[in-house]
Amino acid sequence: MSLLRRIPLPILLLSPTLIFLTLFFVIPLVQVSGLAFQSPDSVFTLSNFDRMVSDIYFDGALRNTIILLILIIPVQLVLAFAAALIVNQRRRGSTFFLYIYAIPLGISDLAAGLIWLSIFTERGYLNSILHNLGILERPLIFLSSMTPKWMVAAIVLTEVWRATPLVMVILLSGLQMIAKDYTEAAETFGCTWWQKVRYVILPLLKPSIQSALIMRTMLAFQMFGPILVLAGRQLPVFASESYYWYTTVRNPRVAAAYALMLMALSVVATFLYLLLLRTKDEQVGVM
Amino acid sequence: MLRKASSLFLLVLLAVSLAASAFAQEITFSSTQFVPIEEQEFARNHILAPFTAETGITVHLICEDDGPFFDRLIAEARAGRAVSDVFGTLHGNVPILVAEGVAADLGDITSIPGRTYISEFVNLGKMEGKQVYVPWMQATYVMMANKKALDYLPEGADLNALTYDELLEWARILQEETGGPKLGLPAGPSGLFGRMLHGYLYPSFTGYQVQAFNTPEAVEMWEYLKELNRFVHPSSGIWAAMSDPLLFEEVWLAWDHTARLTAAVRENPDKFIAFPAPAGPKGRAFITVLTGIGITQGSQNFDAAMELIKYITSPDVQVQVLEGTGFFPTTLEAVDHIPEGPEKILASAVSRQADSPDGIVSLLPVGLGGRTGEFVPLYLDTYQAIVVMNRPIQETLDAQWALLQDLFESMGAEYPNP
Amino acid sequence: MRWKKALFYAAAAVFAVWTVMPIVLIAMAALTPRQELYSWPRQFIPENFSLESFRFFANSHGVLAATFRSIAVALATVLIALLVGAPAGYALARFRFRGKEAFRIGILMTRMFPTSLLAIPLAVIYLKTNIYDTIGGLALMHAALAMPFVVLVTSSLFLKVPYDLEEAAMTLGCSRIGAFVRVSLPLALPSLVAAGIYTFVLSWNEVFASAVLTVHNRTLPAHIISTLNVSPLNFKFAGGFFMIIPALIFIFLVRRYLLSMWGVAINK
Repeated sequence: MSLLRRIPLPILLLSPTLIFLTLFFVIPLVQVSGLAFQSPDSVFTLSNFDRMVSDIYFDGALRNTIILLILIIPVQLVLAFAAALIVNQRRRGSTFFLYIYAIPLGISDLAAGLIWLSIFTERGYLNSILHNLGILERPLIFLSSMTPKWMVAAIVLTEVWRATPLVMVILLSGLQMIAKDYTEAAETFGCTWWQKVRYVILPLLKPSIQSALIMRTMLAFQMFGPILVLAGRQLPVFASESYYWYTTVRNPRVAAAYALMLMALSVVATFLYLLLLRTKDEQVGVM
Repeated sequence: MLRKASSLFLLVLLAVSLAASAFAQEITFSSTQFVPIEEQEFARNHILAPFTAETGITVHLICEDDGPFFDRLIAEARAGRAVSDVFGTLHGNVPILVAEGVAADLGDITSIPGRTYISEFVNLGKMEGKQVYVPWMQATYVMMANKKALDYLPEGADLNALTYDELLEWARILQEETGGPKLGLPAGPSGLFGRMLHGYLYPSFTGYQVQAFNTPEAVEMWEYLKELNRFVHPSSGIWAAMSDPLLFEEVWLAWDHTARLTAAVRENPDKFIAFPAPAGPKGRAFITVLTGIGITQGSQNFDAAMELIKYITSPDVQVQVLEGTGFFPTTLEAVDHIPEGPEKILASAVSRQADSPDGIVSLLPVGLGGRTGEFVPLYLDTYQAIVVMNRPIQETLDAQWALLQDLFESMGAEYPNP
Repeated sequence: MRWKKALFYAAAAVFAVWTVMPIVLIAMAALTPRQELYSWPRQFIPENFSLESFRFFANSHGVLAATFRSIAVALATVLIALLVGAPAGYALARFRFRGKEAFRIGILMTRMFPTSLLAIPLAVIYLKTNIYDTIGGLALMHAALAMPFVVLVTSSLFLKVPYDLEEAAMTLGCSRIGAFVRVSLPLALPSLVAAGIYTFVLSWNEVFASAVLTVHNRTLPAHIISTLNVSPLNFKFAGGFFMIIPALIFIFLVRRYLLSMWGVAINK
């Protein structure tokens, strides 16, 4: 106990996490990412990156990875914020709405892909409904190489539907920590609802928005289950290409090169968020 | 006296351990086959349960995708702890396992009594001087059509001797008369369309799977494919198995692996007809898909595992598997068996394809070892570049040919037949 | 005031319909008889309901056992992830120390690399340490997967629990730990629950690690995912729906903790 007391508290609190992540991620990660720089005979080479960049899917994958992110994240943030505000109104039925909104949290990306596939296939629900309403004579083919915009739309809808609740839950717990004094003060000064949201709630919610964005962006970069279901390889992203090279081609070296690209993108995005949404360490205790 | 007692003791020990091993043995069987839920239930209830009743050996069947299958077996080999005893997978996957030291030598399998394995298959299972698998099941790829499509068959075309030009014509008529594309291909991420490119189209048009990759005949073939693509259902890129699109009538005409068409004929036997793949200028090329079953290096239950392999590849069980799942036998005793019921539709197409006078049997490449997985994607990428991205044919073929050549040369492998 | 209320409920209802509709669709599809599923145009509400696909799926080998295992693994994962991760989140929020930003980004970076590629080295470690194919071993892995997020979310929330309150508690005679347990913890409960829910569903839906680190003791998704991918449509829907149910129940059970007691009190 006396020995434990001599270790500074923060280190004591941080070390379990540190040990955990080192064992489960850092060690295998170093091993695997090394493969990106190795030839099949374990000689140092950059040829895996050459192969990756010259691959016919590379340009599309880079473009799609970024486009999907730009389409998904802002929509998700706005919807999640709106949902969190609705629940936090605490009117009658708030708990009910909270439960409903949280439901997709429990649904895996593969199951979500399957659900939306049943909506968008040629013989799916969307076509059935349009047909039954007399709008369509014959079914439209949404998920096809000829209609990439529809495929993108289907993927964005699936991801927005599935992962918005995660953002909502984080924002909601952030909203609840905003002391009533602030919003009440705003009301006494005669602020409109919008001014209250814009100048009081949003700034105070910054740390939560930041963690929600970092987390979602990272997960969105790695998402590929719904893409494979709804678009196959016609809409490649870095994550699906890495997976394809790893499991189908069985070339872990090029797969690792793709994975490192993905990691680089995530790091850049994280730094951007940290920079743009800088939070002050105001309530910091003593060591 | 002492010696007698001790030898008696040893005998008793031996008998006890034998009895124990005969009664309480459990083995783990990892397979990339029998993955669909109904096949899996069939295998457990009708193949493995009787085996356990007969031998007392309990089998844990683990059916999984290629990804975890490889990862687990490779990790078990690297850690020196074989948790899986038996593996069952496609011939094309085995070189990757052998390169990682996963497969044990099974010795001479031709002397196993009660069956004669087809000798070409036995030879395919020999890698790096070892017999690494026993020929387990075989399958092939054929065409299937909704009977409604027969009304649109081009004049003079014989379903059992169809040519690729007639297929194009048929697909064109169907599209024009019905108002939508009616030909489907399993070109999704888990689909097997790549096999059609290297094992069906290439040899049918150029006479070779690999050597003639960028020849004028090949260019002609790619021009044909671009033309055909105008009548291919544009959702093909997400399909893994053609039975669902056929049942939905999204397509009326499809090419796929027999096992991935079975669900359609089972669901609606009167609606569909199966027939051989089309022929090109050089003949009617087709692939025989072989699956092998072997034992992991370091398995603690080698003998029990061997019992399972003998049982599961015996002619009687192979006939049962054919009736239950649509996979064909690999023993001379069972190979000519004609199944009853819906599977008959597929089986007769398979035998007509095999017996066609202009038939060319495409063999899967051997000797690519750990890089076997790179072979098919090279063909699929070429399709993507030429047909989907509309890149210049000759240039694309030259670039892909360089990659293909490099693959075979760096592994010191010979080109597959033909 | 009345139109405000109407607007609120209209917005809330629209969002609810958007969320629930796909679930209703898959539930309907799971209960539609096979033949009708393949008909066109498909009716929104099937003419006949059938439990056949659903029952075949639920009764097929190992599904029920895998479901219970999944729940066990998920609960163990939540416990481990919160016990290990929340203290780190607290430390990040409360203390100023060198390398804090580096630590924050470092733990996040562990999750920026696609996990499926780490399969073989991880499985080798598991085999060598004898935790391969165990429920506990898998829970450890799932906890590691959730850890960066648990740390991140809890730290952003502890940051907002005013330190004055803890100090006040300490001047009133609470120990540091006592102040934390009595003051900060109840305030941060919604964020801990949020992190817990996230961890639970991550474990519940996780496939790649489970498929490679276990053989006989697989969780439900790992047990069925490859099967569902290649099975006929009716089983896909039945399986997809089956997997959703336990997660629905779990979220239902913990939902009220997402709204903090304090918040309620202040509002009333």
